Amino acid sequence: MKMKKVLFAAVSAGVMMLAGPSLAATELTVQRFFGACDADFGKNTDVGKAVGECGIITSLINKFNADNPDVHVSVATVEWPGYDQLTAQFASGDAPDIVTIHESALSDYQSKGLLMPLDDLLKSVGVTSDAFTDAARNGATKDGKIYGLPIDSWTMLYHINMDLFKQAGLVNADGTPILPKSPEELLAQAEQFKQKTGKPYFVQNLANETALFTRNLYTYLFQQDSDFFADPKHVKLNTPEAKKVVEMYKAIFDKGYTTKDLDYGGAINAFLAGEGGVQLNGTWVVGDNNAQSETKGTALNKGGYAVYPYPQLFAGAHAQYADGHTWAVSQKDRTPEQTAAIGKFLKFFADNDFDWSRTGHLPAYKAIITSDAFKALPHRNTIAAVADLGRPLPSAVQRQFAIQDIVGEEMSAAITGQKDVDAALADMESRVNELLANI
Amino acid sequence: MADRLTMPQTAMPAASVRAPSVDIYAPQWRNFMFVAPFLFFFTTLLVVPLLWGMWLSFHKADTFSSGNFVGFGNYIRLFHDKVFLQSVWNTFYFVLLTVPALALIGLFLALCLNRRTRTAAVLRTLFFSSSVLSVTIVTLIWRIVFIPNVGLLSTIYGWFGATAPAFISDPSLAMIGIAIATVWWCIGLPMMLFLSALQQIPQDIYEAAALDNASRWQTLRSITLPSIKRTFILVVIVQIVLQFQLFGQAWLMTRGGPNNLTKPIVLYIYDTAFRRWDLGMGAAASEVLFILILIAAMAQYLVTRNNADRT
Repeated sequence: MKMKKVLFAAVSAGVMMLAGPSLAATELTVQRFFGACDADFGKNTDVGKAVGECGIITSLINKFNADNPDVHVSVATVEWPGYDQLTAQFASGDAPDIVTIHESALSDYQSKGLLMPLDDLLKSVGVTSDAFTDAARNGATKDGKIYGLPIDSWTMLYHINMDLFKQAGLVNADGTPILPKSPEELLAQAEQFKQKTGKPYFVQNLANETALFTRNLYTYLFQQDSDFFADPKHVKLNTPEAKKVVEMYKAIFDKGYTTKDLDYGGAINAFLAGEGGVQLNGTWVVGDNNAQSETKGTALNKGGYAVYPYPQLFAGAHAQYADGHTWAVSQKDRTPEQTAAIGKFLKFFADNDFDWSRTGHLPAYKAIITSDAFKALPHRNTIAAVADLGRPLPSAVQRQFAIQDIVGEEMSAAITGQKDVDAALADMESRVNELLANI
Repeated sequence: MADRLTMPQTAMPAASVRAPSVDIYAPQWRNFMFVAPFLFFFTTLLVVPLLWGMWLSFHKADTFSSGNFVGFGNYIRLFHDKVFLQSVWNTFYFVLLTVPALALIGLFLALCLNRRTRTAAVLRTLFFSSSVLSVTIVTLIWRIVFIPNVGLLSTIYGWFGATAPAFISDPSLAMIGIAIATVWWCIGLPMMLFLSALQQIPQDIYEAAALDNASRWQTLRSITLPSIKRTFILVVIVQIVLQFQLFGQAWLMTRGGPNNLTKPIVLYIYDTAFRRWDLGMGAAASEVLFILILIAAMAQYLVTRNNADRT
């Protein structure tokens, strides 16, 4: 009798071991930025309840895991933008399967053969590039192939405290904010704002920041038709157009039209506390700011919150700097199950892009951007124009994040008066060109 | 002399049949086995990367491939790079700010706390406790102190209606801010080294001085300080070597800004090699740092050797 039991146990164990691999879920590693919020959304699978970038992406991945028991996605969250870590992971052969990469950074990894072209995989799950918006398709396409599933297009915006704008007398009869149409108007309105409210017009995160400065410069160079990256290997930034932009921001700094010593988190808090009129920040805070404006007792609830693209200050193209987020897939040997699981994950994000667009980012799919549901989201009537205005750097420009650091450092030095404007522009140009010449 | 040392000292009887004695001090290859594990890791983790780094510094290499030999090309680019020269100056400035402060405050604390009372024991633990924190925690704490508008410093200044100095973003204060955080973090080790040195000074010298009616100041100047001179030099040199390698605090508090004024050499290396993928130039900058630290280490060797000769 005892022997029988032992035999039965042994046979059962053997069967389970054999059956094991086919029952086990396919493991995928996903690496992303957008922050960590497990305390609030760690277990949430109801995506509709989530707000903000972190909340929505966490909930989406939770839902994917819940809906697909045959696939298990484990998530590693990295500090924005996470490229130092990703580069080290690629170099040591330990890259995640799927990773968030900006469209502006795709070419760095694609040019080294580290990313998998996704055309065939996406086609196999029914996602074709003609479904993408033009901005998303162009951003994700390198050398004629798709190297990342675009999930949005983003840009910088004017986030406006309407209560302070009303106090400053900068509101039209229809209740919309009065925005400047030239650098001179901007300075005049900022002065008027300061006089009437006693507060700075801008809430900017200028402390040890580079990205904001650079995006501001690119936007106003586009608006002056300055083709500063005509040659992707050689930049021209020591130009009268660039000088105009830097001098404009320097005047804003010198005349006290902006907050000065705040870092990114500090600037968000200052804007939410009503310490300035316009915060220069991205599409990603629209959802959070709107939620604040609907909460009684907050500074944004007092007179309302509005959000607009950067005003057209120059006579050139109607444009502003834009970029986008994608899911890219690392190049490595995989079983058909693993590849199929990646396809499922990408398809899930393509299907659920509307939820992602609730963050404030613009959707990467034509069907969503033209949908009534998207248009019905708050403030989309004012910011949807960004889909046409948004312009990235030419996709052949490599090391865009490193360039951003150099441009931002030099702009910061010029604006805060640590360096002469001409010297800063000359150094900016030579440092970027030195970097590009040695790739 | 060596022969005498190797004379068999036991087993006197039966000496006639005994095999010739073994020279226990003679080199034996199997002894190598004892140091082999250490040598293996020392070679693979230190010597090979050191040589590889030198090799890389003469090549145009990025993170994913090592390219052509460029001779001193990377070094020439390095010394033409204003940001690198700035980072060298920043590193020296930081060492200048922190090392004297660490040595003097460490000595002062050790002198105050070198007594057998419970309060002194508690305070010793308290002052040393910051050393066990990781750099992330230290910078987090100091960011909370320095951050504008809502930070501790701003709150305190706010009580008096004043504006707090912007230790994180003001060009002239940013490095001082990092130095303050660093001194707070690193003060434990110098204090402990000084304490151990102070406790080794024989009590009878102090008793003799007391009999001679020496004042406290005279005792400090003529007995205490000369007795711990070598420890003082040790603390200074160890701290120079440590503070030359500033990275975490600068990266986490200011990201090297504003305008690269708090970017130390290690952050420059990190930026160049891992953010711009210019591994060759990053390696060249590492070699420069290596030489600077080597000079500091050699200085310690020379100073302590000369000192030993004199005493």
